[in-house]
Amino acid sequence: MLRIGHYLNQFFAGIGGEEQASTPPSVRAGAIGPGRLLNTLLGPEGGVASTLVCGDNFFNEQVEAAAEAVRGWLRDVRPDLVVAGPAFAAGRYGRACAEVCRLAAEEGIPAVTGMHPENPGLLIYRQAYAVPTGNSAAEMAPALAAIAALARRLTGTAPLGPAEEDGYLPRGVRRPGMRPRPGAERAVAMLVTRMRGEPFRTELPVEPYEAVSPAPALPDLTRATIAVVTTGAIVPKGNPDHLKRCSETRWVRYGLGNRSTLSAAEFECVHGGFFNVPASENPNVVLPLDVLRDLAREGRIGRLVDFYCTTTGNDQRLVDCRRNGEEIAETLSRERVDGVLLVAT
Amino acid sequence: MAVISALPPLALQAGANRVVQGVKIEHVCGDPSLPPDADRALRRSIVEQGLRALTTDVQSPTVFGGAG
Repeated sequence: MLRIGHYLNQFFAGIGGEEQASTPPSVRAGAIGPGRLLNTLLGPEGGVASTLVCGDNFFNEQVEAAAEAVRGWLRDVRPDLVVAGPAFAAGRYGRACAEVCRLAAEEGIPAVTGMHPENPGLLIYRQAYAVPTGNSAAEMAPALAAIAALARRLTGTAPLGPAEEDGYLPRGVRRPGMRPRPGAERAVAMLVTRMRGEPFRTELPVEPYEAVSPAPALPDLTRATIAVVTTGAIVPKGNPDHLKRCSETRWVRYGLGNRSTLSAAEFECVHGGFFNVPASENPNVVLPLDVLRDLAREGRIGRLVDFYCTTTGNDQRLVDCRRNGEEIAETLSRERVDGVLLVAT
Repeated sequence: MAVISALPPLALQAGANRVVQGVKIEHVCGDPSLPPDADRALRRSIVEQGLRALTTDVQSPTVFGGAG
């Protein structure tokens, strides 16, 4: 019989809503809330032996204390399987559930969660086994049924199949294996199918980019406030914020003061995805401050905003790109910037 | 917003609506192998293309000019 350790937030444990979100972790024997339905679904196959409850704010604000509580609980209970949530579309709960799955994996215990495919929780641990769920707790019964089915697969003897066959969200894991036909033949067959207008299925899904409608043209450049942004990782010499050479998740802003140019004595390029010596020797080749100052002085543009924003556009995850873009846009719009030049390296 | 890129096809693929052709990935806005004045003039022409892009209405992703 399968002994399950179940993780719940304060809401699903019946403690309370937002006002109880700072509740510290506590352990209850047996099943509570959704755990009871899980017991019913599993029947004689197994049940919830212990439930760990923690407030969403506590888990997300005191990450290390929460992780310590999860580890202690896992070592005390030694469950055969951990079930976290499901969290549906709840972001903080989703993060907690993904983190519980990660900690269980560290202890060698299989773990299953469930959440909406767009729940940001999966970003912190994409390798979690998560069944896709609807948006809200109205979907509790089908979500738990899917979790129970995946739990059986994970703890059973037969090897787990690919995500789409066994009903979990893709974990970004490629498993080497033999297929009856080589890749070249499969690719040509796929192309032929596509050209016939028939449905085909890619073997390598690419995350789609978002279509953004074009902004209207600036009516009068001579009155416009212009900003310059770059993915070229141009930073003050010494890289005070430790902008990473690749896989950066953040963006930074730096004041331009009254500089008429970016000198190699004061600025450098820390991008790790291209030969960055030319950009360190003359940062204007990436961030064209010198000519923007000329154009402002000549009255061709109204003014140049007195700072610039940068990140490292090198192996940055799409989700971080999107968030950085939104945050930079928000910053520039607060400064009443009318037009932006984005130099992409 | 106008994107200045050495690789306009990538910018277009990512959904940028105003794209300006830059020089090279390592020096999108200029060319350090040129004498300083020529480098600066080249940089100016690229930035001017960017400004022209900002003042031009586009309905769909559009590439503005070549460098220089």
